[in-house]
Amino acid sequence: MNAGSRKNTLTPYLWLLPSILLIGIFVVFPIVIVFRMSFSEISKSGVIGGFIGLKNYKDAVSLPAFGTVMKNTFWWVLSVVGLSTLLGFIIALVLNQEFAGRKIARSILIFPWATSLVIQASVWNYIIKYEYGSLNNVLLNLGIIKNAVNWRSSYQIEFIWECGVGIFVTIPFVAFCVLSGLQSIDESLYESAIVDGAGFWDKLFKITLPLVRPALSVSTVLNIIYVFNSFPIVYTMTKGAPANKTDTMITYLYMLSFYDRRKGPAIALSVIGFVILCICAGIYMMTVMRKEDSES
Amino acid sequence: MKKMMRNMMIFAAAAAMTAGMAMAAHAEVELDVIICQYGPNTNEWFLGSGMDGSNFVEKFEAENPDIKLNLDVVSWNDVYTEVDTRIANNNAPDILNIDVFANYANDGLLLPVSDYCPEDLYSDFFPSFIDQSVIDDTVWAVPDLASARALFCNADIFEEVGIEYPTTWSELEDACQAIIDFYDGEIYPWGVDMTTDEGQAAFAYYTWGNGGGFVDENGEWAVNSDENVEAINFALSLVENGFTNPNPATQTRYDLQDMFAAGKLAMLIAPNQLPTYVADKGGDINMVTVNIPAADGKASSSVGVMDRVMAFKDDTAEDQDARNEAIGKFLKFFYDPENYVGWVSMEGFLPAVNSAVEALVEADPTFEAWLDVLGGCQFYPTAKAEWDQVKQGVIAAEQNALTGSDIKEELDALQAQLAG
Repeated sequence: MNAGSRKNTLTPYLWLLPSILLIGIFVVFPIVIVFRMSFSEISKSGVIGGFIGLKNYKDAVSLPAFGTVMKNTFWWVLSVVGLSTLLGFIIALVLNQEFAGRKIARSILIFPWATSLVIQASVWNYIIKYEYGSLNNVLLNLGIIKNAVNWRSSYQIEFIWECGVGIFVTIPFVAFCVLSGLQSIDESLYESAIVDGAGFWDKLFKITLPLVRPALSVSTVLNIIYVFNSFPIVYTMTKGAPANKTDTMITYLYMLSFYDRRKGPAIALSVIGFVILCICAGIYMMTVMRKEDSES
Repeated sequence: MKKMMRNMMIFAAAAAMTAGMAMAAHAEVELDVIICQYGPNTNEWFLGSGMDGSNFVEKFEAENPDIKLNLDVVSWNDVYTEVDTRIANNNAPDILNIDVFANYANDGLLLPVSDYCPEDLYSDFFPSFIDQSVIDDTVWAVPDLASARALFCNADIFEEVGIEYPTTWSELEDACQAIIDFYDGEIYPWGVDMTTDEGQAAFAYYTWGNGGGFVDENGEWAVNSDENVEAINFALSLVENGFTNPNPATQTRYDLQDMFAAGKLAMLIAPNQLPTYVADKGGDINMVTVNIPAADGKASSSVGVMDRVMAFKDDTAEDQDARNEAIGKFLKFFYDPENYVGWVSMEGFLPAVNSAVEALVEADPTFEAWLDVLGGCQFYPTAKAEWDQVKQGVIAAEQNALTGSDIKEELDALQAQLAG
């Protein structure tokens, strides 16, 4: 190998080096530390002790709220990712049409995504408040209801509200991902399909969906990770109350660590969450890539 | 040329020695201090211009030029996260202002108070406050301030309905029913906060008023005593009968204080700062303070909440004596009545040292009545290592009971966990 070709081989790695260093320091190193801590004894105030094997994991899965929290996390991710993908897709289809005020509509759509989640959750808290909530005020003033309604009358309903806020703030992300995919579709494909007698559903399922699938795949994988790790909505709206019945894994492990001060099980839970996410993302990516390979 | 070089080297060596000596003469002890944010004025007082146009750090450093303060004011929401993270990274603060101390003491992270607190200052603290920070006969923290809870009643509502202020649980039920009947449910008679923030306070209000509590007479955990079960069942019955705010598991004390300030809530157990809070919110409530109602035939008990200042060990400090002395100077300066009275009255708290009482009562005569309340207060058993578990455990028990679980089974399970 001559000097020129060696230089060419090394060049890409040199360009990648800053990113690799940053990822190593800020991503890989903390992950390794957390894995190590999950097998260590950790005191209530955070002092790291010796190796204790799987004790933190055993303690974590035997916590009374563990089952409820896992179930909540499943429904939280499924409902927020699923419904925001469906609704975001529909909104993207609408925004891809030519109509007056399309630019304004697109700008408005970005607001929920561009606003801080804590602010969003706090605003929704005020909207559905029983005593002075805007929703009750509007409905009372319009004469639709005669007495104020307690919109948070049970923890199941509170959890549904949290999911609703999650969906509301996630829709714009999906819509814009899909919209970028839609704009890359060649118009002539639809024109040819129309000539061949294709209807709306034919065009949707045989042209639009296959062609925006890469964009949808990316948004879905990213959404699963974002939504699974989302903390502010649940923490701001209920703090997991009553008794962890509205907690998801992320808020629960925070409460466990900094309220209950059971840091060992909390760290074990964070590792469990990390592994679950890796598996989900891995399965999804493999499925999508295999499909794309077989089609190409 | 050689001579010039030699002269330059001699000059450089002399300059280096002089600089070294100057540095030695101004050798500083640096103290990392974390203060909790009690209100909007805390930051101004410690770091801004809220202390006669200056601030605590500037004034302290002017008086103690050999000590440098790296002082952070941290919100209560973040302080536990910040402190625990710093401890995990072997970077604990030198001085910490917070409410709890037992975990730090049990991990061997704290210095005994006797190592750094000057004797004259130590003897100035209320002894009953100091007693709350003792583990194994060692005092690990000193109190920085306190607040006491009492029942605040909206006097106008009581006058309009024509009822007396309740002193017992049965009188409380009658008063609640009368308020509901009179206002047709438009005004909540009684505020209940069983949230993750303060559910332990609710537990204390009712169990202490029924002769129960977190611990028995020997100081052992007794969360599932018959008195406690009866007391929490009474609190739950108030919720079930519609006498309270509708969502006690998620409506915090601040939500309730807002309702009280808006005239939507007739009675609320709250700290002595409630009048300041209501005024800040623009409320104009004619309020009366009375004892927290107790079970019939039982004595009323107030709840005291106290925060602390503690010092962490630092084995890397070269001169431990100088460090301890600097911590002592910090405390002396903080508790100097000239500074401390302004600090306590600014946020509406009650003092922890005798030397501040006279000036505070002179400035605000209502302080005296609150000091009497404070004298009869019970405090949370924060010196016990399991306090975090008990605190979260009773909150979870209350919240589960609000959703239909049996409170006795919940408290039995918590007691069994503590025994195990």
